[in-house]
Amino acid sequence: MSHRNSVIVLVLIALNTSAVTPAQNSAKLNEELPAGALQQKATTACLECHEARIIVQQRLSKAVWSKEVDKMVKWGAVVDANDRDALIDYLSGNFGPGQPEYSAPRSAQEKTTVRRTRHTSK
Amino acid sequence: MDSRRTFLKSLSGAAVGAAALAGWPAWAQATEQSGSIDLPGEDRMIVRSLRFLDLETPVEYFDSWLTPVSHFFVRNHMHEPVELNAGDWRLTVGGEVDKTWTFSLPELAKLPVHSVVNTLECAGNGRGLYRPQVPGIQWQKGAVSTARFSGPRLADILQRAGVKSSGKHVMFRGLDEVPGKVPPFIRSIPIEKALDSDTLIATHMNGAPLTKHHGFPARALVPGWIGAASCKWLAEIKILESEFVGNFMSPGYRFPNQVVKPGDSVKPEDTHVVTGLNVKSVISGPLDGSSLKSGKVTVQGTAWAGEADIVKVEISIDGGSTWNPATLGHERSRYAWRLCTFSWNAKRGDYLIQSRATDSRGRVQPMEAAWNPSGYLYNAVDQVTIHVA
Repeated sequence: MSHRNSVIVLVLIALNTSAVTPAQNSAKLNEELPAGALQQKATTACLECHEARIIVQQRLSKAVWSKEVDKMVKWGAVVDANDRDALIDYLSGNFGPGQPEYSAPRSAQEKTTVRRTRHTSK
Repeated sequence: MDSRRTFLKSLSGAAVGAAALAGWPAWAQATEQSGSIDLPGEDRMIVRSLRFLDLETPVEYFDSWLTPVSHFFVRNHMHEPVELNAGDWRLTVGGEVDKTWTFSLPELAKLPVHSVVNTLECAGNGRGLYRPQVPGIQWQKGAVSTARFSGPRLADILQRAGVKSSGKHVMFRGLDEVPGKVPPFIRSIPIEKALDSDTLIATHMNGAPLTKHHGFPARALVPGWIGAASCKWLAEIKILESEFVGNFMSPGYRFPNQVVKPGDSVKPEDTHVVTGLNVKSVISGPLDGSSLKSGKVTVQGTAWAGEADIVKVEISIDGGSTWNPATLGHERSRYAWRLCTFSWNAKRGDYLIQSRATDSRGRVQPMEAAWNPSGYLYNAVDQVTIHVA
């Protein structure tokens, strides 16, 4: 097996395990919230209105997550009062300031138009 | 490698299947080719979010004075309108007016057309660069683009309805589809800005009708101001006696009156609404972390200042010890960015390249941006590191 193919296999193994970092995982269309006791409740509460990527890219302190959760509950997120603190712990634990930087994916190359057409003032 | 092909295909298929189940936009698909996301009409954009759609322009596209629509950043607060029929679309003008007026698209097209080349920047551009980080879309350098917007002047539309002397603010309501109990995206601008001859109800962008992502069939275009002022999918204009009261006027889109210690909270009464853009420049090339051969190296960038003019851009290649004037591009318009270049004969070594813009109001791009709890108006001196071999 060539070196290149070895690299591809390693990348595929990385993609196919649950231990991938957000940076490796971010090309996926359907970004998911990480495993944890609150994963399902967070998915139900948050992803009704927006996708997981909006959460996954944040790096916020517990105090800031608390404000965000309370704002979102006011805006219609369904969170049982008994789950509020655990949800904040889940979000700040996974998406706190100490987590590795999130790397956003790119969209595919446009197929229908000529790329890099230089527009001028004329 | 068949197994690779099969695996990627199943990955892609699973993602698309999940997309259909979870109510993902039909136009978004994962592609097999590179793991990138297929978005028709968009070209290699940085995907900050698909639902709601938020796309960032990569800095390497800032080498063009007008940004092609496929490279123009997209900022949506909510879902785009599902059904938009140009034939059924109407724009109503009411509130503090002599006569409520309704325009169809053909009626709007009969008004004199005016064009403005405008650099549109999201107030939150650069939010992801503030420390400590603040909540919101984590834009880095590319929630900004420039296009020629065309359409009737807002002043001509308001004149038809006749603004009463009590009318002091102009409210825009778009057709964004509001999820849950989220407040609707409604904001207002002062009547003086609304009556400015360069404030438009734009129907065209770079000579073509607006695309859906950019507000088809009509959007406000408030030049030199934050993107949020330029309401997309416009359906209603209402003249008000006072500033609109709603989430996206307060606490949204407000900036502290005083310098804030990073991480501190700010009382709402100590803030003001964000309007005009800051002075700012961004390096579009060489890209951060790139390696180049020794010899002539050209630094490219672009600079803008909202309602003010760029008077100079300086480039430092020695980490800020000395600054050299960049050559400003000949393409210019009142509210548009200026491209700029600086070349030097680079010897081997590692370089910290920085750019710093100054505008006609004497504002200078600072070394550090003014941290604020919402992460607005980031404009620190831009910098990239390169290796010359």
